[in-house]
Amino acid sequence: MPTSVPHQSTDDPRVTLDRDLGVFEPVPPYPPRTEREAEFYTLGDGEMFINMGPQHPSTHGVLRVVLKLDGEKVVDLDPVLGYLHRGVEKLCENADYHQAICYTDPLEYVSSLFNEWAPVLAFEKLMDIGVPRRAEYIRVLSSELNRIASHALFLGWMALDLGGLTPILWSFIERDEIVDMLAALTGQRMLFNYFRIGGVNGDLNHEFMSRLGDWMAKATEQIEAGNTLLNENEIFVRRMRGLGTIDTATALRMVMTGPNLRATGVPFDIRRAHPYSVFPELEFDIPTRSEGDCLARYLLRMDEIKQSLRIIDQCLHNMPDGPVMAKLPRLLRPRPGRAYAAVEGPRGQYSTYAISDGTDQPFRMRIHDPSFIHLQSVGLMMPGHLIADTMAIMASLDPIMGGVDK
Amino acid sequence: MTVVGKSWSRLTLPGKIIFTVVPLLLVTTFVAVSAIVLLGPTIIDILAANLPIVRFVVAVTIVLLMTIPTAFLIIYMEMKVIALMNLRIGPDRVGPFGSLLSVVHGLKVLMKEDFTPTGADPIVFTWAPVVTYLASVMTLLVIPFAPGIFGQDLNLALLYFFAIGGLSVVGLLMAGWSSYNKYSLLGGLRSAAQVISYEIPLTLSVVGLILLAGTMSLNKIVEQQSGWFTDWYVFQQPLAVLIFFIAATAEANRTPFDLTEADSEIVAGFATEYSGMRFGFFFFAEYVNVFIISALTVTLFFGGWNAPFPWPWPVTLDLDPGSLGILLLILVAIVPLILTIVFAAPVWMISARIKGWQALIVGFILANLFIVAVIFGLAYVGLDWVAGIFWFLGKTYVFVFTFVWMRGTLPRVRIDQLMDFAWKWLLPASLLNLFVTAAAIVVARSVRP
Amino acid sequence: MDRLFKSRLERRFADQLTGPVRQRHDETEIRIAAGDVVAVMTALHDEPDLHFQFLSDLAGVDTGVVMQVVYHLWSETTPDWLRVTADGLSREDPRVPSVTFLWKGAEWMEREAYDMFGITFEGNRDLRRIYMPPDYQSFPLRKDFYLPDDAARSPGGGVRPMERTQAPSTTPTTALVRRTPV
Repeated sequence: MPTSVPHQSTDDPRVTLDRDLGVFEPVPPYPPRTEREAEFYTLGDGEMFINMGPQHPSTHGVLRVVLKLDGEKVVDLDPVLGYLHRGVEKLCENADYHQAICYTDPLEYVSSLFNEWAPVLAFEKLMDIGVPRRAEYIRVLSSELNRIASHALFLGWMALDLGGLTPILWSFIERDEIVDMLAALTGQRMLFNYFRIGGVNGDLNHEFMSRLGDWMAKATEQIEAGNTLLNENEIFVRRMRGLGTIDTATALRMVMTGPNLRATGVPFDIRRAHPYSVFPELEFDIPTRSEGDCLARYLLRMDEIKQSLRIIDQCLHNMPDGPVMAKLPRLLRPRPGRAYAAVEGPRGQYSTYAISDGTDQPFRMRIHDPSFIHLQSVGLMMPGHLIADTMAIMASLDPIMGGVDK
Repeated sequence: MTVVGKSWSRLTLPGKIIFTVVPLLLVTTFVAVSAIVLLGPTIIDILAANLPIVRFVVAVTIVLLMTIPTAFLIIYMEMKVIALMNLRIGPDRVGPFGSLLSVVHGLKVLMKEDFTPTGADPIVFTWAPVVTYLASVMTLLVIPFAPGIFGQDLNLALLYFFAIGGLSVVGLLMAGWSSYNKYSLLGGLRSAAQVISYEIPLTLSVVGLILLAGTMSLNKIVEQQSGWFTDWYVFQQPLAVLIFFIAATAEANRTPFDLTEADSEIVAGFATEYSGMRFGFFFFAEYVNVFIISALTVTLFFGGWNAPFPWPWPVTLDLDPGSLGILLLILVAIVPLILTIVFAAPVWMISARIKGWQALIVGFILANLFIVAVIFGLAYVGLDWVAGIFWFLGKTYVFVFTFVWMRGTLPRVRIDQLMDFAWKWLLPASLLNLFVTAAAIVVARSVRP
Repeated sequence: MDRLFKSRLERRFADQLTGPVRQRHDETEIRIAAGDVVAVMTALHDEPDLHFQFLSDLAGVDTGVVMQVVYHLWSETTPDWLRVTADGLSREDPRVPSVTFLWKGAEWMEREAYDMFGITFEGNRDLRRIYMPPDYQSFPLRKDFYLPDDAARSPGGGVRPMERTQAPSTTPTTALVRRTPV
């Protein structure tokens, strides 16, 4: 039996706490096992570790970050993940194809429809299923609404991490309206469980359309009001400008996608680069900015909201009639094969790689999540900045820990 | 177990309370009455001989006792106002419009577990909140609330104010260091740096005012601003007001300069390891600070207890209700009834749905309000300190509202931006203000000897 | 389905492909051996007519017989996704060269593949567990991982009585579980 690491769990009744605990140092209780661990966990002159633990008012979920500080400047950063790991990939292997889609909802819980869309596309490729056009339009419509809701929440979080108490509550008002709309459509306010293999779960109904109409009428000015609260605030802009700058080469090396990549100047959007669904028929621009700092990422997401509104408008005008679900057998058993599908979510590229072995359960369902990738780059952007900026930079990358930890 | 012990344990809780409190009360009453009767005259003689000391002790006691309700009021105001700015409701349940919430918070804070974290230095840990609280509250001694209502009229009141206000740094550092926690250490050091940096523009901005006023005594500064509102010093020292306001915001650790308690970065800064009444002290100290800097702004620049207009005619009220004799008793009985009916009648006639008894209740409330307004009006006209307190508190709470407004609206600055602002912008601006004021005074004096 | 692309790949990587180039819907798939990963990925990344600058996904797969590492790449030179499967890794000691020299963002994806399967990526500077606690003994996504016994037997799993299962012995039932902590 390998020698176990001397972890003293305080739940263990045999452990008594009368030894001197000392200040908690977030250093692992074993010698460093990798190069990077050794590099990070050796202290230079005048440096100290501080642990922004899993319980912290500002990390976007349960994330633990160990900071190496020199006074108030951050020298290095080590995120420790796994506090929200639920084993979704393993669960999907033991579940049906339909059930597997339900497991993917809580990954990035703020933008659930995109989490469902990628596996649904992959499974449809596995099974060679065509989706009716009305279902495709409904998918685009609901997911663009979800994108707006997610970006509105990002705006609120960004301001909250910088100290402003008001914008997050205003964002929740916006998000509340959208989420109520989607609840009228899908039945759920947050983890929608709406997309199905071959279509969507239910057609548009009267309540959804009336709420949507009311909301679209005042959406633009509401969003403008939310924007002006922050864009013209000197303190806010000064804290975000020039912070956490990433250039194009580094962003491509760090495999960033989505608004974080587009803010550095690369107009890469999966909806145009590798189109899926009905996006070739829809007209929208890809907003891009070239500075690559927090302010650029923030303003870019605001521009994306406007583009989403355009897309929703076109969907409503061009909505075709027809069924919303393809005719499928109850028990889905695709022939053995592999399929990969990627969608453009509010944070970047969500993709699923599904392997089928001929049974009714996926053999392997690999979920690729953008927040996971983006969190790696925080360590690159941090050195030289202050602790307060850690929060700002992490907020501007918009990670959701459900997706990071799967 | 003895008989007493057994019967004690058989009592219910209210029984226990009654059986301890009532005998204590009786004994205390007996002792007090006998002391008063036997020693009364002697005590009065001693007090009369040392009237200034007595006055001082009474003033200090009142000041200390008044800080708690002030803090409660400001805490409630902050919660409610920020909630309304956030388009939500805020405290709603405890008392009408949630106004008793602060009281409940105070009680809750008293009932929490009182611990010292492992590794913390117990003496420093315990005394840090006391030092911070005292540094805030001791400054209330010199603030003039109304003509005749102040703690002490010092010649160097302003100097005393800034000296004592600087003691809060010691308290913050003590808290940050003794908590044995890196977050607290960072918070404490940040706040020490912040407070020290902003003290210089704070004091320098006021020096121009001191030159103009010729005195550091707050009472005299307020008296110089009597008359129309154009006599207020804000019109003679506009830049100083601005600098003072900003520097005072930083001194009080309020948004946008509240990085010491930036709860999105370092949890609660220096107060991370504090809970219960110790945290309550820090909490109160912060809100009392808000009140104090508002009060000081009002005193120095906005006329203190002066109304914006001078009372145009002299008034002497010669009310002697005792001369009415039995008529007074009859009046006190009848006037409320008549007023109730007078106010109830229009309310009852307005709508058919309002029943008689509802109209009477509304009438009663309105009658009470009317009587209170009349008494207040009489007091305002007759006693100068009523008017003084009214205007002083009104103006102070306008500034408190401004602080709360800033908290709800603005995000936080970063520590290096904060230091930049203090040393590169506010300090030169306050020096500029000082030089311009001094030059203007010299020129004015030489032109008009 | 880009037929021209298929023939280009067959010509360019003729001696590294271990199987035919397959295409289905909008994906093109090539299989290579683990040792060729560096050469093939560098060629795909650097050559201007291939220009696969964008690594879309890096996954580990346990087929039950062998282990694989699957890379998905995107380039503007072809409308297809390219899937590169590094096949034939043994289940006892799967090793594959790391691609972090091309894409630093692959570091955490490789850490995840190591954590879930036990695949060692040679050249990854930071190959430690990412989701599971650092003293965890098993690799969860392997096909021979049976919850909850494997998990409960690790030192990190279960001080409280509720977390202990009925498993009688303290030695792992399967010989395929790693014995030495890495």
